[in-house]
Amino acid sequence: MRELLDRLAHYAHWAVFLLLELLAGIMFFQFNHYQQSVWLTQANAVTGRVLEWEADVLTYMGLKARNAELTERNIALQIEASRLRREAVAGGADSVYVDSLWEEALHGTVLIPAQVISNSVRRDDNFLTINRGSADGVRPEMGVLSGTGIVGIVSKTSPHYAMVMSVLNTQSSISCRLRGSEYFGYLRWQGGSPLRAYIDDIPRHARFELGDVVETSGFSSVFPPGIYVGRVADIHDSADGLAYQLEVELSTDLANVRDVCIVMQEHEEELDSMTVKSHR
Amino acid sequence: MLVTQIIRLFWMLLLAALQVLMCNHVHLFGYATPMVYVAFLLIFPLNASRIGLLLWAFVMGLAVDVGSGTPGMGTAAMTLVGMLYQPLLRVMSPRDSADDLVPTYSSMGVAAHIRFVILLVTIHHAVFYLLEAFTFHHPVRLLISFLTSTAFSLVLILILGTLRRKKA
Repeated sequence: MRELLDRLAHYAHWAVFLLLELLAGIMFFQFNHYQQSVWLTQANAVTGRVLEWEADVLTYMGLKARNAELTERNIALQIEASRLRREAVAGGADSVYVDSLWEEALHGTVLIPAQVISNSVRRDDNFLTINRGSADGVRPEMGVLSGTGIVGIVSKTSPHYAMVMSVLNTQSSISCRLRGSEYFGYLRWQGGSPLRAYIDDIPRHARFELGDVVETSGFSSVFPPGIYVGRVADIHDSADGLAYQLEVELSTDLANVRDVCIVMQEHEEELDSMTVKSHR
Repeated sequence: MLVTQIIRLFWMLLLAALQVLMCNHVHLFGYATPMVYVAFLLIFPLNASRIGLLLWAFVMGLAVDVGSGTPGMGTAAMTLVGMLYQPLLRVMSPRDSADDLVPTYSSMGVAAHIRFVILLVTIHHAVFYLLEAFTFHHPVRLLISFLTSTAFSLVLILILGTLRRKKA
């Protein structure tokens, strides 16, 4: 008996080894599931704090260039808005109505500003970590935007941090349409360049051109309609040859994104529960 | 005994910070990202408790995984290397070496030490990139990443090794 126990003790490290590898395997294969705890991700309190501190240090170094970029974009948008307003009024629209568009642009939507504290674009399934969490009202399935376009969708939250499934994630699928037409499809990323994604299933009879604007469709409550996604860069045939596959040049350089907003829409739950019901 | 564990904890935190805050941001030629935390194992003597070493290796991998968003990959790789560490060290160290041998250039001889580190780092990176292959579907890119990262990590770890005193 004693000899047996001795022998078992001699091999105990094998049991520990197998157990630890099993734990690592569970972590690996469960990572993309919602059930998995947020504590083993970069959004946990300790890692979040460290990464936030690091991001703060790095921000100071890039502040000047970023400010210049924002100012430039702000001026471009102001010029565009005033030109559009002039044209709308010239085209016979009521100027009071045009002004009210400004105010209504964000009606029913709350934007929570946040900073990206960790980011990757080099894998097939990329995630970002942002410094806002459930204590700030962030919930899974909320959309995340930057000044230049869409960034991703919140996948997990801890009290003060959240993990965002980047557009650059092969599991990401975002409903998009061509601006000015009703043709829509799902934006997917296939790895490779962080500036190229694809939209499948645009019908053969759809009329569009290279350079057309791709925007969010607003069919789900994740993103409001009309958010800039990118431009059509190339047109391919879909795998089955029955439709077009559009290659989209994304407007946001996700390798370089720093300041973002989380989109909180009123009526979100209503809209989503309707969708679920209609799918049944 | 407690002092030994505290020193190990110190090295673990230091290497995890080095990995997460610095090495993860390096993408030499767009491919090579060094993983220096494998060097953590080199502070363990030949006669360390096998279960203790496994647990330390596991926690080291876990710390880096949590910090870099690589679920379970570093953990699995480190645990395997932790399991193989002592058998490999026994085979590759000089035959008459002491039981509490710690692998350094001076204790093993330069050539044997370099061979040992190459083996450890290659096994670690192979497991890491094999797991990455489950989620990353570009085999050629992956192979280049594996080869360049292994070379890069090796250079850094071998340089780190020269900084150690004889009795670490």
